[in-house]
Amino acid sequence: MSVRASNHLRWLGGVLPVALLLALQWGSMREDAPRYAVAPLQIAITLWELAASGELWRDALASLRRSMGGFAIGAALGVGLGLVCSVMRPLRNFFDPLVSLAYPVPKVALLPVFITWLGFGDASKVAMIALAVFFPTFINSLYGARSVNERWVWTARNLGASRLQIFFRVVVPASLPQVFNGLRSGLALSFVVLFAAEMVGSKNGLGNLVMKAEESMRFDLMYAAIVGIGLIGFGFDRALLALRRRILARRFPGEAAHG
Amino acid sequence: MSWLEAVEVSKRFDREGQQILALDRFSLSIAEGEFVTIVGPSGCGKSTFLHMVGGFEAITEGSISLAGERVREPGPDRGMLFQDYGLFPWLSVLGNVAWALESRGHAKAKRLELANHYLERVGLSAFRNAYPAELSGGMQQRVALARTLALEPRMLLMDEPFGALDAQTRELMQEELTAIWQRDRRTVLFVTHDIDEAVYLSDRVVVFTARPGRLKADLPIHLPRPREPELRKSAAYAEHRNQIWDLLRDEVLAARKLA
Repeated sequence: MSVRASNHLRWLGGVLPVALLLALQWGSMREDAPRYAVAPLQIAITLWELAASGELWRDALASLRRSMGGFAIGAALGVGLGLVCSVMRPLRNFFDPLVSLAYPVPKVALLPVFITWLGFGDASKVAMIALAVFFPTFINSLYGARSVNERWVWTARNLGASRLQIFFRVVVPASLPQVFNGLRSGLALSFVVLFAAEMVGSKNGLGNLVMKAEESMRFDLMYAAIVGIGLIGFGFDRALLALRRRILARRFPGEAAHG
Repeated sequence: MSWLEAVEVSKRFDREGQQILALDRFSLSIAEGEFVTIVGPSGCGKSTFLHMVGGFEAITEGSISLAGERVREPGPDRGMLFQDYGLFPWLSVLGNVAWALESRGHAKAKRLELANHYLERVGLSAFRNAYPAELSGGMQQRVALARTLALEPRMLLMDEPFGALDAQTRELMQEELTAIWQRDRRTVLFVTHDIDEAVYLSDRVVVFTARPGRLKADLPIHLPRPREPELRKSAAYAEHRNQIWDLLRDEVLAARKLA
């Protein structure tokens, strides 16, 4: 592809979203527009009111407490166990097939199971989020640690490092780029699972707000809550990417560039 | 009295179910302070032998001992320099060198001070806070050399250390290495396929046959020390060079048939 063609595409990338918003705005203002077609401007206004009244923050905070709690537990277990499994073969032989088996099962399908065990409170939601986050962080950390350049291990042994030192000072830092990839997937999943959980059994949170708005036919509120969810997810993803860049940019320039 | 003593060392390994003899009853003895280089066609087992001295590869038959001690595993008494440098990308230049000083039991402040001293020896103390990925290949190998020197090893093992560098940088690195070596004349076992490099640096050049590697010739290099760049233009240098190339030519041709 020529440089000119890619310049055209960049131009298109800037204009297309604006054009789409304008089209939605125009379409939803027509006489014959259905009720669920809410104008983007109206959604923005509702979102603003929601934020100004404090209602948005209350629900967002309730959601974030669950997702961050689940993310922290799941990521700690996934990264920790993934890295340890890379150097302990019996442990790996136990967990690796188990993970392959359980990974494709939709975690949301397990919500009834968790509710039976842990009740309708936050515990069942946090547990389900943690489980969803565990898989990508485990798999990426294990893969990253397994593909550590053998030369670094040799060099560390040459410098007189013990096995424990090789794990903490070579395997762990060398796996960082892959660990970050896992964290990023896990973070996205934590939000996906959170809202699914909140829509089924919850008295607050943004997922619950979406359901409540739908039941009372407040479509503007429904879309505003969805946009709110998107903005929070976007914010956290960007923050993670910034952290990743800060840690990796000088050490692993090739790895930090993409993603 | 010999410092490094390798007696009838053989190496066999499995490749796709086939037994391959990489090294066949190779013996070598090196005196303390001697700079010995092994040259041979690619795949002749010269690097394998070096890795066995380093303790990284198991010895199938025979024995290797250094200063009267049997070689069994890697250790800081044999400082290894790899073609791909083996620097830890997550550590700064200073951090890489300082790690080598841990094996000598210094406190942290002393380690950093000494690391700086070794970086000065290779002319890189100004880059102490850089990360390896921010340096050129030649600079990275100088950091690796500083790290290896910091071990104050009984012996230096160099596995085609300049093989990845461009021709000009390689010549400059050879000149730097011989100047650094001249100061404390530590025992060196060097592996290369570059005949010029072998003649310029060494007291003795050992020529390997094509696989399985056997001793083909063991030639003393009668050139004055310290070695100066002008030496490369002398008749004595050319004579050594031609003699080794004549010995090696048949082996290179034989190795091509094997590949």
